[in-house]
Amino acid sequence: MQVSIRLKQLHPGFRHGAGVLAASLFLSSVWAQTPPPAAPATPAAPPSWQQGRSTEQATSTLHPFAPLFTGRASSELPFDKLKLPPGFKIEVWAEGIPEARSLALGDKGTVFAGNRNLSDVYAIVDRGGKREVKKLLAGLKAPNGVAFSKGTLFVAERHRITRYDGIEDRLDNPPEAKVVIDNLDPTSQAGHFWKFLALGPDGKLYFNIGAPGNIVMPNYMQAAIHRVDPKTGILETVAYGVRNSVGFDWNPKTKELWFTNHARDWISDDLPHDTLHRVSRKNMNYGYPFCHQGDLLDPEFGKGRTCAEFDPPALKLGPHIAPLGMRFYSGKMFPAEYQGNIFVAMHGSWNRSTKQGYNVMRVVIDSQGKATLKPFLDGFLTDEKGDPPMWGRPVDVLVMRDGAMLVSDDYNGIIYRISYKK
Amino acid sequence: MNLSKRIAAFATAGLLAGATACPALAADAAAGMQKAQVCVVCHGPEGVSGNPAVPSIAAQPAQFIATQLLMYREGRRKDAQMSPFAANLTNTDLNNLAAYFTAQKLTPPAAAVDAAAAEGGARLSQQHNCVQCHGPALLGQQHIPRLAGQQREYLKTQLRGFKAATRFDMDGQMTSAAQPLSDADIDILANYFAGMR
Repeated sequence: MQVSIRLKQLHPGFRHGAGVLAASLFLSSVWAQTPPPAAPATPAAPPSWQQGRSTEQATSTLHPFAPLFTGRASSELPFDKLKLPPGFKIEVWAEGIPEARSLALGDKGTVFAGNRNLSDVYAIVDRGGKREVKKLLAGLKAPNGVAFSKGTLFVAERHRITRYDGIEDRLDNPPEAKVVIDNLDPTSQAGHFWKFLALGPDGKLYFNIGAPGNIVMPNYMQAAIHRVDPKTGILETVAYGVRNSVGFDWNPKTKELWFTNHARDWISDDLPHDTLHRVSRKNMNYGYPFCHQGDLLDPEFGKGRTCAEFDPPALKLGPHIAPLGMRFYSGKMFPAEYQGNIFVAMHGSWNRSTKQGYNVMRVVIDSQGKATLKPFLDGFLTDEKGDPPMWGRPVDVLVMRDGAMLVSDDYNGIIYRISYKK
Repeated sequence: MNLSKRIAAFATAGLLAGATACPALAADAAAGMQKAQVCVVCHGPEGVSGNPAVPSIAAQPAQFIATQLLMYREGRRKDAQMSPFAANLTNTDLNNLAAYFTAQKLTPPAAAVDAAAAEGGARLSQQHNCVQCHGPALLGQQHIPRLAGQQREYLKTQLRGFKAATRFDMDGQMTSAAQPLSDADIDILANYFAGMR
């Protein structure tokens, strides 16, 4: 059955056909003398990123950008292009971490980094100013989510969440995974199957299950943020109508959950906006697939609906800008005006003829609760009409204990460190 | 137990302990050329294949070369001949090989394409949106391969594999794109691509 699992995983846009094929491979290996009848030809669905295109858009040359899966040496990168506000400095903190995605910080200072297309989790240890990179876990299924609490590393794969207790004392000999919750991906879904993972102030593990395509009707588990209690395994849904969130954090003062969300593609260059959301009560619904950005009815699913049925975003971030990791800043290093800001890693647009994003921005929230977007780290985007338009892509931000901020870049397999000095 | 089997055993267990990833060094085409000695036995001098069933790798996009070698190493793309060669290569090796082969000139052996096949191929490659990803001259880009001047039997095998959903496909794009192709379409497209310069 190893084969069937693999094939389904490798053909996310073709899961039905791959399933038929996998089943026939399995059967033929068991009953070799009686080959099963030929399966009827199943038309392959388009890859999930193309789903929802109009007929005219079939000739579009827009496409997602694949990471450089073997990583790239920092010495090859044009660092002089990076720009930060005065007093801030950026340096390479660690490299050789192919497809570095979400980040988590251990009690003893170990930084953990997950993968989305690849299958590994890395541990990066600071040894007297030099970083040692270890491939900690391998052979996992899209281990995009990593979170740390009280000695335990939690990992969200596409189908389950696992825990590795006492991990920082066992980086060279990690314990077996213990399952917190399984069967999160019973349909081997296409589309947004990778998960972000974070521990809430309530000690529960929060994670997303994205929509299984660009614009499709989700099932009751999909297009939502859930939480699971690692002590009991009890699962609850926290927010509905969330197409795909790959970053969230809690306001350190109010303890409210905030999250980023990716809106659908293939409406236009300028619509809809990706969004930032605040969860202020139970059972909030942010609109997918019926309403986007709080005020734009979907051309197909919006028929007969109104956006007034749904909860609007806290802030529109920009069309196709692809917000991923976000964290509130409460460190001691950056100037006072940065306290309580939200830093957001913008992975950058592909479904837009003029590209934007590929940066880290900050959201300033005033005393009235009004949120404003400001630039912070820029310079990865070098040619807004280019293909590719960028040389690096921020995925997650992580505030370190000294107040400095790490930024992961999955395109190059590098983690940067941003620091501030008056 | 050889190294690749050991890695596979660890991977099955979901654990790979103690492997320290080397910091990536700048891609080095000269080092790649040294590593390439074993590749050119089948793929031809400088990666220009003379064997219809073996692909040319000269002038392929560097990201395509490195990605495919990595997928062979990780066991996602499988081939009885290629998989063992990729099994022990580091990411630095892959980047070096990619830097070397992408810089070579593809001077394909003359592939006779009659006028009718050429016209049919041009029409089919428009109709099936090949140019949208592989580029207007089908020279490939980023992780997407060059088709122009590629060996025809190799191309036919790949397209048939995509149609049967047996060929490794990162996101399902080619598996989907190959579904409407008839065997005759595949022959025409392969001949057309092979004859392009």
